[in-house]
Amino acid sequence: MRLQRLWLTDFRNFASAELELDEGLTVVIGRNGQGKTNLLEAVAYLAELGSFRGVSTDDLVRAGMPSAVVRAEGERDGRSLLVEAEINRVGRNRVMVNRQRLQRSRDLLGAMRVSVFAPDDLAVVKGGPGLRRDYLDATLVSARPRLDELRLALEKILRQRNALLRQSGGRLSDDVAVTLDVWDARLAETGEKLAAARAALVERLAPAVAAAYERLAEVPSEVSVRYEPWWRQEGLAAALVVGRDEDLRRGVTGVGPHRDDLELAIGGMPARSQASQGEQRTLALALRLAAHEVVTDEAGSAPVLLLDDVFSELDPARQAALVRWLPEGQTLLTTAGDLPAGIAPGRVLTVEAGTLRPGGPGGGDGVDGGAEPADADGGP
Amino acid sequence: MSPYAGPVQDLIDELGRLPGIGPKSAQRIAFHLLKLPTPDAQRLATAITEAKARVAFCQRCFNVCEGELCDICADPRRDGNLLCVVEEARDLVAVEKTGEFKGRYHVLQGAISPIEGIGPEQLRIKELLVRLDPEGVQEVIVCTNPNIEGEATAMYLARLLDPLGCRVTRLASGLPVGGDLEYADELTLGRAIEGRRTLDAS
Ligand SMILES: Nc1ncnc2c1ncn2[C@@H]1O[C@H](COP(=O)(O)OP(=O)(O)O)[C@@H](O)[C@H]1O
Ligand SMILES: [Mg+2]
Ligand SMILES: [Zn+2]
Repeated sequence: MRLQRLWLTDFRNFASAELELDEGLTVVIGRNGQGKTNLLEAVAYLAELGSFRGVSTDDLVRAGMPSAVVRAEGERDGRSLLVEAEINRVGRNRVMVNRQRLQRSRDLLGAMRVSVFAPDDLAVVKGGPGLRRDYLDATLVSARPRLDELRLALEKILRQRNALLRQSGGRLSDDVAVTLDVWDARLAETGEKLAAARAALVERLAPAVAAAYERLAEVPSEVSVRYEPWWRQEGLAAALVVGRDEDLRRGVTGVGPHRDDLELAIGGMPARSQASQGEQRTLALALRLAAHEVVTDEAGSAPVLLLDDVFSELDPARQAALVRWLPEGQTLLTTAGDLPAGIAPGRVLTVEAGTLRPGGPGGGDGVDGGAEPADADGGP
Repeated sequence: MSPYAGPVQDLIDELGRLPGIGPKSAQRIAFHLLKLPTPDAQRLATAITEAKARVAFCQRCFNVCEGELCDICADPRRDGNLLCVVEEARDLVAVEKTGEFKGRYHVLQGAISPIEGIGPEQLRIKELLVRLDPEGVQEVIVCTNPNIEGEATAMYLARLLDPLGCRVTRLASGLPVGGDLEYADELTLGRAIEGRRTLDAS
């Protein structure tokens, strides 16, 4: 898929903006607080109908305005694609694809795809298991949109089962037992399917992460990515039986895909607790690039790669390595500072207080075809 | 403190308790009603009171009806061997429209959903069990919705009925997953009934 043109109206700090994207690399330069992340957030909104910063859609509407509009024109599988989203403070948000209104937001899944790397991604490596599960499931759904149903079903079943556990007051009456059996069977069936899908994904992801890490680090590194929940040995049904008393006591389900972790290690040591900050940053980026690669493979075309402030995360050698190994396909990259040597964006834009203009911050507006910005100034 | 005068807020609150109506919709509907000409509003109020006064639930199958028994329970030509279990009376209407089914019905009046505080005891399940022997039911077709709660209810029924020596079948797939029975088109639903399968109790 390819994005050609983007319009924003009253989105975050953009009153009105229009931009054209290169079919390869587009770089957006701007000092902090000017709207770089906001711009990527707008693109991602069209793919995910939500913010990758995890805020409510209300926050996306420019202060004092009733609604925001994001519109993108592009092509997918050789056919033109027009996606339009309206975000309303009051009433429902709306999405149209090729001027057809979507009834359900999940019908959008897959119409437009993005891979987002933001500095917050560091938390995937450093933070709790929930963030790694989210990374895994988001990649899964991006690669195979229909699996979203599985993820949603699991969530619902868990909510129902936990409600029942709490209502039981910790006691297993005959009535509760029979009903619990039913929820356990549903949970086991759905949970096994989701875990199998995750495991299959990780099998493809693991070598891709290791390879991406080595490309960035430029030294042989032993990176391992493993998804091996203990319960998959015996099966979830059996694990639920074992955990039942504990579950009844605590009123929550203690085992299942919602508690799994994705284990990340560098040189045999857990990355979360023992890797250096630099290694963790590199691994976070490698995870994102690998997911991008797998999704590209699975979907048959590359999502738009959105790299937010990625250079601030890396030392100069790794910046250069990233530039050298940027995946093919369309990339939108933001930076507050100098561009690393060797970078050759097809298009450069500068953002300042919610206004976009072509070219780097120093020069005029002539940079439009493969030239490097002569003097991207020193940033903040 | 509520922002509206007493009667307006009462109306909003009542509307907000209806299924599928959130606070925003309740507010919109309330103000729509207030703008209606008095006779129109009166007609709506009467329709509600009349329906409440005259319509009750069938004492056997819990379908809506005007007397003690609904038309289907009272009809001697219906096949007593087959019993179709649905969540709501509107699902019964949907199955009935296919013209495929000649047996009788049982309306559970809901589906198992702990979140909403609905367990088997809140449903018309005891009433279902006492019908089986006297009516000579050979097969129970479970037509609950193909969503999480409907599937759980179906499995619960299968486990309950299987030991009683009753054949339990479930609608064949073909129904949209995650959908509601009442929205399925007649063709899909008709085919699903033909292709029903035994529900395994495990
Ligand atoms: N809903 C909004 N309305 C108006 N301005 C906003 C809104 N949300 C964020 N902003 C402004 O956007 C700016 C931050 O933009 P951002 O894209 O995060 O900066 P950066 O270029 O550093 O990535 C801040 O000045 C903030 O006040
Ligand atoms: Mg930013
Ligand atoms: Zn009846």
